[in-house]
Amino acid sequence: MAEKTLGDYIITVKEVCKTFPGGITAVRNFSTDIRRSEVLVIMGPSGSGKSTLLRCLNGLEERDSGQIVVDGIPLDENKRNRLEIRKEVGMVFQSFNLFPHLTVAENVNLAQQRVRRKSREEAMAMTRDMLAKVGILNKIDAYPAQLSGGQQQRVAIARALAMMPKVMLFDEPTSALDPEMIGEVLDVMKNLAREGMTMVVVTHEMGFAREVSDWVIFMDEGQIVETGTAEHFFTAPQEERTKLFLSQIL
Amino acid sequence: MAIPEVEITRFDNRGAPGYTAEACRKLGLCGEAAPFFMDKTGGLMQTIERECPPPRRRFFLLRSPTRDILQFLLLIAALVWLLLLGASRSGYKWEWYRVPRYILGVVEGRLTAGPLLQGLGLTLKISGISLVLAFAIGLLTALLRLSDSLVGRAVARAYLEVIRNTPMLVQLFVIYFILGPILGIERFLSAVLALSLFEGAYASEVFRAGIVSIDKGQWQACYSLGLSVTDTYRFVILPQAIRRILPPLTSQAVSLIKDSSLVSMVSLTDLTLQAGIVVSETFLPFEIWFTTAAMYLVVTVTLSTVVNRMERRFRIAG
Repeated sequence: MAEKTLGDYIITVKEVCKTFPGGITAVRNFSTDIRRSEVLVIMGPSGSGKSTLLRCLNGLEERDSGQIVVDGIPLDENKRNRLEIRKEVGMVFQSFNLFPHLTVAENVNLAQQRVRRKSREEAMAMTRDMLAKVGILNKIDAYPAQLSGGQQQRVAIARALAMMPKVMLFDEPTSALDPEMIGEVLDVMKNLAREGMTMVVVTHEMGFAREVSDWVIFMDEGQIVETGTAEHFFTAPQEERTKLFLSQIL
Repeated sequence: MAIPEVEITRFDNRGAPGYTAEACRKLGLCGEAAPFFMDKTGGLMQTIERECPPPRRRFFLLRSPTRDILQFLLLIAALVWLLLLGASRSGYKWEWYRVPRYILGVVEGRLTAGPLLQGLGLTLKISGISLVLAFAIGLLTALLRLSDSLVGRAVARAYLEVIRNTPMLVQLFVIYFILGPILGIERFLSAVLALSLFEGAYASEVFRAGIVSIDKGQWQACYSLGLSVTDTYRFVILPQAIRRILPPLTSQAVSLIKDSSLVSMVSLTDLTLQAGIVVSETFLPFEIWFTTAAMYLVVTVTLSTVVNRMERRFRIAG
């Protein structure tokens, strides 16, 4: 990824804490900065707070303290700021979360028409482009239940991309997929990374991390344990917890 | 590696006796689902199966329907016998031929609705308006209960508790005799109001259950796409929830139609009151009340059937 030039900071996270009502602290004093066009992979054992952190980035999860600024807009109580961030940050979920009662086209059109205030025709043009991009244009009139998991996840990516987000968050996008479908979703994500999309990806796919990530955060107990390039994690992890974790997933 | 196709007639070497072709068939491991077995030399083999027999059809083809028909006829005969016995014990004289004129009559050479049909008309009118209102109130209450607003939740809760813990007849009287004169509401409106408020409380619980049954992921997807709460309800949550709650909503509608008979208590000449009047004129309680019950039944069964059809049509594809 040497040819890619990284821009200014698009997301700054400062001392973010999140404790769940049950008393479990998911994110502890977490700070990091993410540059434009950067691909950041977050890894860590389950329960290490990586998904919670990701959800804090667009306000889906309410943090207890700390600051988050996305593209110059502070994520705070102000509803207009929050809406702006929700529009600019796309999110892809482990369980796809497509709307089952709507066709693929309607799934991708909905937010464009209601949030971006596009006409049906304008939305449809974008929808076609995005579905072509994720290689699933032929399923435009299908319902989600008629698609395989990999196809559903690609529609979910197209749905998020159709909003022209500046940042894409991926919350374990391949964890709910059958092994033979992981590749097709990762390929779409790799292309996206090459086009310069800023991406924050929670995943255990080391191959993906190695190929496209600019850097990797290893998290445990809500904190950063170790950071570095994917290569660093492959060849010379420093912390014991990192080594243990990697030995289990590789 | 090519897998030799051999029909297995011996045991596999995993120590599980009985993995013969026969056993595979019994275990339902036919065709493509058949696992690979190792034979004694360690080579892989796949079971090749003859076509499975078609699934056995129970009841409809194997059993003659005669028995069912016989049982049904017996049941009807027993009911009729019981009825006739009751009538004869009380010295009742059946006069069914006098009933039709109270449903449809000929006045001055023109076909006109008799009192029962007129009553049914009013029942349908009251039920129809109340149904729309009840569902609107129900949906609003459900949304209030699920909202962030403390006042909204408290109002919804208070309304539910009052309505569900007092008899509907008392509610009707309160609205008709007390609120009616104060607010200047006339008879018909009081009845509609009482009925909608009563059924709305129950409908709201159905709506609420439907809404909370929708997966949280749907909310999260809408949030991350920037959709407003209103749009999320309108385009994503409610369309799914309403499909899911159609059956209990229908039974709520049926309840409403049945409960509408209570409006006869404030002298609205609905089907029930008309029937009472006809009975007192004709002294045909058996015939008239049976006819009335049948008329209610026709309406409610029709409603259920129509919704059932709708439900099948709107089922989410896939």
